[in-house]
Amino acid sequence: MRGPAGHQTARSDVLLFAGCLALALLALSLPRRWTLTFAAALRQTALRPIVALRSRAAQDRTLRFDVEQVRRSRDSLALLVQQHDGLRRENDELRGLVGVRARLNHPSVSAEVLHQPALTDTRMLLLDVGSANGVRMFDPVVTADGLLGSIVSAGPHSSSALTWVNPDFAASAVTADGRVSGFVHPAATTSGANSLLELDGVALRDSLAIGTVVMTAGAGGTYPMGIPIGRVVAIGREENGYDRTYRVVPFAYPGAASHVLVLVSPRDSVYPRAPPAVPRP
Amino acid sequence: MMPLRTTDRRRSRQGDRMRVAFVLGLLLAVEFYLQPSMIEPRRGAPDLLVLALLLLAIRRTPGVAALIGFVIGLVIDVLTPARFGAGILAHVLVGWGAAWGRALFFADNLMVNAALFFVGTWMRDMLMLVFSGTPLRDLPAEALVWAPLQSISTAVVGVIVVLVFRDWLAIRIET
Repeated sequence: MRGPAGHQTARSDVLLFAGCLALALLALSLPRRWTLTFAAALRQTALRPIVALRSRAAQDRTLRFDVEQVRRSRDSLALLVQQHDGLRRENDELRGLVGVRARLNHPSVSAEVLHQPALTDTRMLLLDVGSANGVRMFDPVVTADGLLGSIVSAGPHSSSALTWVNPDFAASAVTADGRVSGFVHPAATTSGANSLLELDGVALRDSLAIGTVVMTAGAGGTYPMGIPIGRVVAIGREENGYDRTYRVVPFAYPGAASHVLVLVSPRDSVYPRAPPAVPRP
Repeated sequence: MMPLRTTDRRRSRQGDRMRVAFVLGLLLAVEFYLQPSMIEPRRGAPDLLVLALLLLAIRRTPGVAALIGFVIGLVIDVLTPARFGAGILAHVLVGWGAAWGRALFFADNLMVNAALFFVGTWMRDMLMLVFSGTPLRDLPAEALVWAPLQSISTAVVGVIVVLVFRDWLAIRIET
């Protein structure tokens, strides 16, 4: 049987537990904007050594194991650039002839993904670049294979990217031939243990073949036009009697991404970002 | 056997703490540098932070274990902000549960330790998934594929740690 001292310990335990629980519930109920700011501030101060250590670890892994792969990618890209050089020149001349403005280049910042072992890691990735590198909120994040997501919070030296696995993800999409457009979002079904995307809002008359490549449409101002998203693998449900949903297997998986590109402004979009508000005189 | 004097006992307790702190420091170094610098990121990789929490929780009172869970959960939430607070809540509950569980089982047995690491990691994963608002459709795959995979890998690493540092991590029942 416990004595008075034992009762004291048990009471302090319960108080500690209740306090931790209350703080955890408070953290869970805070608005996302506040929590992202708070997390970014902690990453910048108390946890900065950990973020720096993880970033260093990712760079060391690349130096140790990925050099051969990087060399192969560089060689094949050099070949591709040589082959496309004539095509690009021809495209520029044609644009000049019809009076279309030159296509915008997308400056990019390369980043390492600092993966965490938590199972929710794929929904929100931590990147080792931030506002000091020119990264801002809503900048798209891509890999060599395709779209991953966009930045939701950018601290000076690290940032968080919301990926297509996150239930909050949505992007305007168009087929590679530009014929059919719609919206992609995380699917209500999975393929084995892997998540899928759904292409919504496709009219019944615009049927898509299995294998059709889907890209970003550029509407909305977040994702520029032409980033590959995935490939249609199945026809989903028909909704409202006039449109159909298609299941899309994404090209890029957040869990497997270790190096990504953050596309920074200027971006090619039909809805350019609104200019900052000017105070009235 | 002669009972230990108070100063000897205090010194022995201090030595125990130092040894446990060394093992935990080692786990953190592996978690934050060695593992990411050697292995490609994979889902189901061992989570050494939850292992550190479980190792500490069975050596502390439930309140202190909850507090340690709070700190570890905060670190995880700041580094993986899928839903801030979900990690904190999950780790507080797992820390508290593991410390209370010590009263029900003898934690110096290797198999019991392995089971504790497996169940603790699985519970933590499931709590985190539920609190972070994982859609219902994703839960079966997470609960039956990824969470058990991570729990097994964490339990295997935990057993290796306990075997290597058996003398250092032995729980001494003080009278």
